[in-house]
Amino acid sequence: MAQSMFEKYGGFAEVRKVVSAFYDEVLDDNLLQRHFVGVNMRQLIDHQTKMISSLLGGPAHLSKEELARAHRRREITEEDYDRLCDILDETLDDAGFEDADRDAVVREVENLRSFIVE
Amino acid sequence: MSSDSLTPAQIACAALSAPVALADADSRLILYENAAFFELFRKPEVESDALAEHLTQVDWDKAERRLSSGRAYKADIDLGGDTRKSQQQVELRFIESGGQRFLLAEGRDVAKQREAEYMLDSYARMAEKNAKELSREKERVEKLLLNLMPRTVYEELRDYGTTTPERYDDASVLMLDFVNFTEMTVAREPGALVSELNDIFSAFDRITELYQCERIKTIGDAYIAVAGVPDQGDNHAVHLARVAVRMKRFLEKRNAAHSNVWQFRIGLARGSLIGSMVGIQKYVYDIFGPAVNLAARMEQLCDPMGITISQGFRDALDDSFATSEIDELEVKGFGKQRIYSLDFEKR
Repeated sequence: MAQSMFEKYGGFAEVRKVVSAFYDEVLDDNLLQRHFVGVNMRQLIDHQTKMISSLLGGPAHLSKEELARAHRRREITEEDYDRLCDILDETLDDAGFEDADRDAVVREVENLRSFIVE
Repeated sequence: MSSDSLTPAQIACAALSAPVALADADSRLILYENAAFFELFRKPEVESDALAEHLTQVDWDKAERRLSSGRAYKADIDLGGDTRKSQQQVELRFIESGGQRFLLAEGRDVAKQREAEYMLDSYARMAEKNAKELSREKERVEKLLLNLMPRTVYEELRDYGTTTPERYDDASVLMLDFVNFTEMTVAREPGALVSELNDIFSAFDRITELYQCERIKTIGDAYIAVAGVPDQGDNHAVHLARVAVRMKRFLEKRNAAHSNVWQFRIGLARGSLIGSMVGIQKYVYDIFGPAVNLAARMEQLCDPMGITISQGFRDALDDSFATSEIDELEVKGFGKQRIYSLDFEKR
């Protein structure tokens, strides 16, 4: 079986740094931070851990339906989603992900756009 | 108080990012709070300076007990609002200075720690879920493989990645097939035919299992089972004879209740054989040798719904079975052989 990105980049020991950095960046972002006011921290981290693990082929699977449910009525705009994609791309770049792998992840996230943007 | 009159210690304390408040040890009224404490914990609607009224998430009964025994008390406080600034841990402890006692409340940002804990929780749950799925999958594979080979062979394959062919000097073999099956495949609707065959073979499997015998394989309408492999019990022939008798009883009852009649021939023989995995990618456990060949000959000599047994097999049976001699015949590869019919099991 082909190695997943999750394994390639060092498993959870490394991926957790990606989750943590992504979480920080998203919460610091002027455009995006409004979505996180009053959000339960445990749930948010759980979601982001699953989301990133799942994108990298790790031990999680988030269905499109689950994603749609988690983002319902959050009024996420196209602009927000663009910014999120940029932040994810930068975070992966900082974590040393190769260009091709980053492109693959961002493409995957792009495929989920219609389930998340209202 | 102007900043000119503040000591360096007071200036530092006021500017600390960690929230700090000092209260009177007896009255519990706040004597001093730094800016961070004021911002995080001071409730604007509360006029009182009582520490407890601002640190409302602290379990004060518990805190008092801990403090009265001379120890510090730590409370986790979730402030809500901005996710990352909301996680504080406040430590309460008595301090003494200049002969006076104070209650010190000191907060610490534990957001990063919580973040790491929550992430670990999340991952642990994912990993546990996966481990469970994996273990279920393993069980499923094991079950599947146990259908293809005896347990001991499976265990050998699992533990060593390979199996060695084994010779069994004394084993019993059952060969069964159906009369006119080829004609049935032409005349009957394939789905219904296979479904009936499947029902019958499934019933045979249950009977075989009940008497600790092993179904080796089916080829088309042929059913091959063995006893004494891999565990060499003394009375394997008896077990296999019981299987044959019960197969017959099952099929007779089934035929009485169905419009399509199935008739078998069963041959039973006893002797030596080799049991081994065959194949590398598509492997299957198979048996070879005199006992297998003789059982096949017995089956060929059998009448519809009869059970034909070799001399050796009959010798291994106890007197709980009724047998009758059929004939003495030249059996290909085995010379002159007395053959018998296994008639019934005495109650």
